[in-house]
Amino acid sequence: MATAQQIKNGYIDYVLIHDEKPKSVYSFVKKLKISEEEFYNFYASFESIEKNIWAELTIETIHTLQEQEVWGSYNSRDRILAFFYSYIEVLKKQRSFIIYSLKKHKSKFSTPEVLSGAKPIFEHFADEVVNEGLDSGELAARKFFSKRYKDALWLQFAFIVNFWIYDDSTGFEKTDEAIEKGINVTFDLFQRSPIDNLFEYGKFLSRNGNFKEKMKF
Amino acid sequence: MKEQESIPVSKTERSAKFVKTGFQIGGNYIKHYSKKLFNPQMDRSELNEDNATDIYKSLSELKGSALKIAQMLSMDKNIMPKSYIDKFTQSQYNAPPLSGPLIVRTFTKNFGKPPEKIYDKFKLSSTNAASIGQVHEAELNGKKLAVKIQYPGVGDSISSDLKLVKPFAFRLLGMSEKELNIYIREVEERLLEETDYELEVRRSIDITSACKDLKNVVFPKYYPDLSSKRIITMDWINGLHLKEFLKTYPSQELRNKIGQALWDFYNFQQHELRAVHADPHPGNFLITPDEKLGVIDFGCIKEMPDDFYYPFFSLISSDVIRDKTQTINAFRQLEMILPGDNPQQVEFYHKAYKEMIDVFAKPYTSKTFDFSKPEFFDQLYAYGEKIAKMPEFKQARGVKHFIYVNRTNFGLYSILQELKAVVQTDTFKPHIK
Repeated sequence: MATAQQIKNGYIDYVLIHDEKPKSVYSFVKKLKISEEEFYNFYASFESIEKNIWAELTIETIHTLQEQEVWGSYNSRDRILAFFYSYIEVLKKQRSFIIYSLKKHKSKFSTPEVLSGAKPIFEHFADEVVNEGLDSGELAARKFFSKRYKDALWLQFAFIVNFWIYDDSTGFEKTDEAIEKGINVTFDLFQRSPIDNLFEYGKFLSRNGNFKEKMKF
Repeated sequence: MKEQESIPVSKTERSAKFVKTGFQIGGNYIKHYSKKLFNPQMDRSELNEDNATDIYKSLSELKGSALKIAQMLSMDKNIMPKSYIDKFTQSQYNAPPLSGPLIVRTFTKNFGKPPEKIYDKFKLSSTNAASIGQVHEAELNGKKLAVKIQYPGVGDSISSDLKLVKPFAFRLLGMSEKELNIYIREVEERLLEETDYELEVRRSIDITSACKDLKNVVFPKYYPDLSSKRIITMDWINGLHLKEFLKTYPSQELRNKIGQALWDFYNFQQHELRAVHADPHPGNFLITPDEKLGVIDFGCIKEMPDDFYYPFFSLISSDVIRDKTQTINAFRQLEMILPGDNPQQVEFYHKAYKEMIDVFAKPYTSKTFDFSKPEFFDQLYAYGEKIAKMPEFKQARGVKHFIYVNRTNFGLYSILQELKAVVQTDTFKPHIK
């Protein structure tokens, strides 16, 4: 009996050797010496294998993180930073496949289809972390915007992964810097900033507009 | 303390930082001159104070080599107005630390496991900044340890930082570009060595074992197994930094003891090892509860080649300086007098440098020397100021080794002055051929 793991490994092996996906499910299962039925028991298509790999890697990262002792002492910013540092570490084990999987996606602006499985998982995770930050007051609650924080983090996700596949520095040190700086900038924006104060000052002035006349400006 | 969440790393970002400083300094000048319109008596010390604050602020945000340069400038008290120095010496203490997850990441990359799996205890928030890294407290088998972690990307940014600092230092110090180039190259070499933590561990072990018999000096033990390219593990040394130590009003006797330990440590290295811990800023020393001098951080080691050592120390501790021909000869070897100089120039530089050596060598001329006397330092500062104003000294002179040797000895002298110590100066004498 074939297992999901077997099929997955067989698929990774195939694409890394041939640099393209198998011509058909039929030819692929024949190579693996399993029946088509067994394949479809686990996966609907080759794309779903790839999506699954991404989703699994993302889940694996989140799990290992939450098991770490320090996790409890981290604030939201640290948690997202920690996620990306571990994620890069986890992805490293499958770097060739990751590069294969992302590089065939040409458009820079839309989310690659292969990430569509990982996206909801990451967003759920990010949402949780952001909400904790909002509750503790670490992050600024803003009408309309605080719901979009996770989207900003998803953009960072796509950017960092893309940065990493083109990174040729020793030990991917440049990716570390990209993470440290990118996430920090993003979180700086999530926090209360002078813009909030300016906005509130504006609101105050418009509410109390009649002072202006009294003061004869 | 607030954690600094980002270091500007790309060259443009760093340049922006310097440009910002430039604008602020410009603003300070405008402020100064507009105030002066109404109050012609105002001197420049307020202006210097304002400038120093802004320069310090932007340098301390840069971390890495720029912070190191801030430290170096702060050592050369003779070329900096006093208000600059006070601000710069702040950079020798706490600079803001990096995020926790990046520290964990650095450990997993270097050792394959997080810090809590390596040590029994590990404090994720850092205790101290060490200019190109930060120091954390840890514990293993009941022993308290200091763990130094290097910021990522430091090596990369050193050269580009130095290029940025150049025009800035050029204006700030009023040095000629040629002079600055020699300086920058030597500094770059040392700084790059400092980013090599494996080298630092090897050297630390070498020097501390060579110095182990010195009285009243203690060193941390280094753990090569727990160290790597980016991490150094050593014993934690309990003690007070110089400033804190002085606040406890130590007795003259104790100050002499610490001063003597410091003097012996440096002169033993200079004359017996010919390689010297060239980073004598107060942050690298601790005074332990049992009244000993703790020396930490061997990142910066300056080796003294024979062709520098012999001419230089023969000037300082022999009769050479009383013989004009021999003195000029030594000055030529040290490139303080250049082959192209005409007789008047030879005369001029001989006189100027002889004066310098006379001041510099004072502690060596008697058996004991009292560093608390302000006259000696007044002379040193006055000489430095005089030199800074002479157009003849805008030109590159002196071999490159002077940069770190001067820095070392000047640093040593100024710490001894702060200690107000009386020191026996003939414990380790120069070896002259």
